[in-house]
Amino acid sequence: MRRTSAVLSAALTLALLLAAGAMVSATAQEQQPRMGGVLKAAMIGEPPTLDLHTTTAVIVQQITWHIYETLYTYDKSFNAIPLLVDSHTVGDKGRTYTFKLRRGVKFHNGKEMTSADVVASLSRWGRLATPGRQFWKNVEGIEAKDPATVVLYLKDTSGALLMGLARPNNGAVIYPKEIVDAAGDNPVKEFIGTGPYRFVEHKPDRHVKLARFKEYAARSEAPNGFGGRRTAYLDEILFIPVPDVAVRLAGVETGDYEYSQQLQQDQYDRVKAMPGVVPVIIKPAGWTTAVLNHKQGLMADKRIRQAFQAALDMEPIMAAGFGNKAFYRVDPGLSFPEQPQWHSKAGGELYNQKNAARAKKLLQEASYSGQPVRWITTKEYQWMFKNALVAKQQLEAVGFKIDLQVVDWATLVQRRNKPEAFDVFSTGITFNPEPAFATSTACNWPGWWCHEDKEQWMAAMARETDPKKRKAMWDKVQQIFYEDVGRVKFGDYFSLEAIRKDVHGWQAQGELPLWNVWLGK
Amino acid sequence: MKTYIARRLLALLPVALVVATVAFVLMHLAPGDPASVIAGPDASADDVKRISRQLGLDAPLPMQLVRWYGRLIQGDLGQSIFLRKPVTEAIVDRVEPTLLLTLFATLISVALGVPAGVISARHHNTATDQVFMVAALVGVSIPNFLLGLLFILCFSVWLGWFPVAGYSPLEYGYLKTLRSLVMPAFALGIVQSALIARVVRSSMLDVLREQFITAGRAKGLAERAVIYKHALKNAMIPTVTIIGISFAILISGAVVVEQVFNIPGLGRLIISAVLRRDYPVIQGVVLCIAGLYMLINLLVDLSYVVFDPRVRYQ
Repeated sequence: MRRTSAVLSAALTLALLLAAGAMVSATAQEQQPRMGGVLKAAMIGEPPTLDLHTTTAVIVQQITWHIYETLYTYDKSFNAIPLLVDSHTVGDKGRTYTFKLRRGVKFHNGKEMTSADVVASLSRWGRLATPGRQFWKNVEGIEAKDPATVVLYLKDTSGALLMGLARPNNGAVIYPKEIVDAAGDNPVKEFIGTGPYRFVEHKPDRHVKLARFKEYAARSEAPNGFGGRRTAYLDEILFIPVPDVAVRLAGVETGDYEYSQQLQQDQYDRVKAMPGVVPVIIKPAGWTTAVLNHKQGLMADKRIRQAFQAALDMEPIMAAGFGNKAFYRVDPGLSFPEQPQWHSKAGGELYNQKNAARAKKLLQEASYSGQPVRWITTKEYQWMFKNALVAKQQLEAVGFKIDLQVVDWATLVQRRNKPEAFDVFSTGITFNPEPAFATSTACNWPGWWCHEDKEQWMAAMARETDPKKRKAMWDKVQQIFYEDVGRVKFGDYFSLEAIRKDVHGWQAQGELPLWNVWLGK
Repeated sequence: MKTYIARRLLALLPVALVVATVAFVLMHLAPGDPASVIAGPDASADDVKRISRQLGLDAPLPMQLVRWYGRLIQGDLGQSIFLRKPVTEAIVDRVEPTLLLTLFATLISVALGVPAGVISARHHNTATDQVFMVAALVGVSIPNFLLGLLFILCFSVWLGWFPVAGYSPLEYGYLKTLRSLVMPAFALGIVQSALIARVVRSSMLDVLREQFITAGRAKGLAERAVIYKHALKNAMIPTVTIIGISFAILISGAVVVEQVFNIPGLGRLIISAVLRRDYPVIQGVVLCIAGLYMLINLLVDLSYVVFDPRVRYQ
């Protein structure tokens, strides 16, 4: 009897061990990335251009950063780490940066990347890109010391230099010099970079096709955020413009697309229940805002701006815009809680006041007598319209008269450049790791929020290199943001995307990194 | 006949001029500009101005209009701002899906609409007539994009018979093209078939009351011959007119369905051009569609000769 049980238990143990072994190898197999396949990504529309130096449009960054690369990129905590650069040294009391480039990095046309390409590309970026122009004000000169060395001479120290060079949106990507020379300030005609995927074709309204770049020179470090080793597992990526959100959702459900972006947040429960589909929440995606016109009209009066800010109750505004509570957050920070190095509550007592009495009093002090506040918004982004609609109600309850003008996006972005054409416009401020480049506080951006103290703190923060001091300065800027009512922040929003179950290695990031992503079919 | 056709073709020119001018002026007066779209949401006003200058959009409007006429005379529709190619080429690229979709949808609308109209007329004031006409009323009332989305839900998501969206060009095989067009063609065609059914029914009813029909029946012709040989042929003139109009409507109505089904045709071209203010493309496509309308009208007029020998053009 005892023998039988001993044999039995031995057999059982063996069986268990075998089973465990099988399971381990199955998991290992499952987690073993495989090469091959075509990833079809359903995008919200067409990229307006494929020249990243000339646009801040997010969709252009999402597509082209697989083709072009920057000198630096972000790690998983959104700090700058080298990408095309091997190392750098700082001299002349922080005013000279010497970059050693990685050797053996090839462009898609077979040419090796050298300092000449970097100098040509960075100079063009400094001339054309919106963050580049801001950044280049502090650049004295740039020089190619030898084929692998670039020296950047600054007028003043900079705490944001590497972060600026790492920025993906409207980023300082490196093109071959001859392409930069041929294009000048006009759009580049060939789309060549050093990235893990190369450009194949753009058939408008059909797709942008990228294919694996076989000679890609990957970094040796383990993947970390957007940096480290980038592997092109996929044979091809097709970015397909699918403007209808219902079709993007249906397509990922049927498997026609492996990825669909910007789904409606109120569809979250449906997406969760779909077999074969995994919902992805991009957290944070950005914050929604009403931008006030400081230059001209009613909102040039600080008291009216303060009344606007005091009247609002953000919870219903955000709920109307995003439906599901999993997709918004009421928080005063100009940077997000996901960026602990920057997130701040400064001035928070002035956010989400719901103080009708104070609003009324301020309007009275400003002798506001019912002049219409022209607010331009759009239904092309439903949340902008819904945010505005609820805010309009709340503002009218305290005595404002709101003239809500609903136009298409192209009209909105044109009108907002004309100070005489509006008092308020709707928009979203997308996630940005480096406050020195924040649109939310920029003075030369529509709304023209220029404030002497704020500009000084922003300039000081751009110069300062000590992270602790920089954070303290950002706190000051946020305090002024609320006291002076730079813009009116409604709340943080997250976006909903969906991928098929057989897509692996996915990073839930708004920038859409598709290297290191593989298909498990 | 030849002089008539020549005269009609000549008359295209002034119409084209008016269309070209109206399209130009309306688009340029509408707010919004391509430069802000290219520059993106975070761009400063200076950046937008620079791009605008590069695109030649800072020139005064009358000057731009004269340039546009100048190019038109040479048969040049200009260069697309976003597509990096001439407008003519962009249009030619998009003709295949739109034309196939429209033909397919017209075929469906005729195949469903004409028999439904004839049957209704033949069984005038009976339950059959009422069922068909209620169905036609429903058909006319459903917007084609809604029908399209319902098709996607039913035949792609639930049944998995067709791809949700997208177009497979002819070069990848006829069957694949056909498969990618089935749902959009039905979404377009069903709505038009309802219109055709109603027109066929009423013109058939008119004809059936004519004396020659009574005479035909009196001399003992089979009912089938009365309906299909004599009545239908005489009811064809309004029917062909409505089919012609419906073809033209379908070409421009494809705009919405192409958007829903992601078909890269003329409709998508014009929608994305309007959203991004790609002026040369909008003007070019509007001009082409106007020309097409006029040609279809001419063809419809000429077809009357075939159906009614009494019609003469001089």
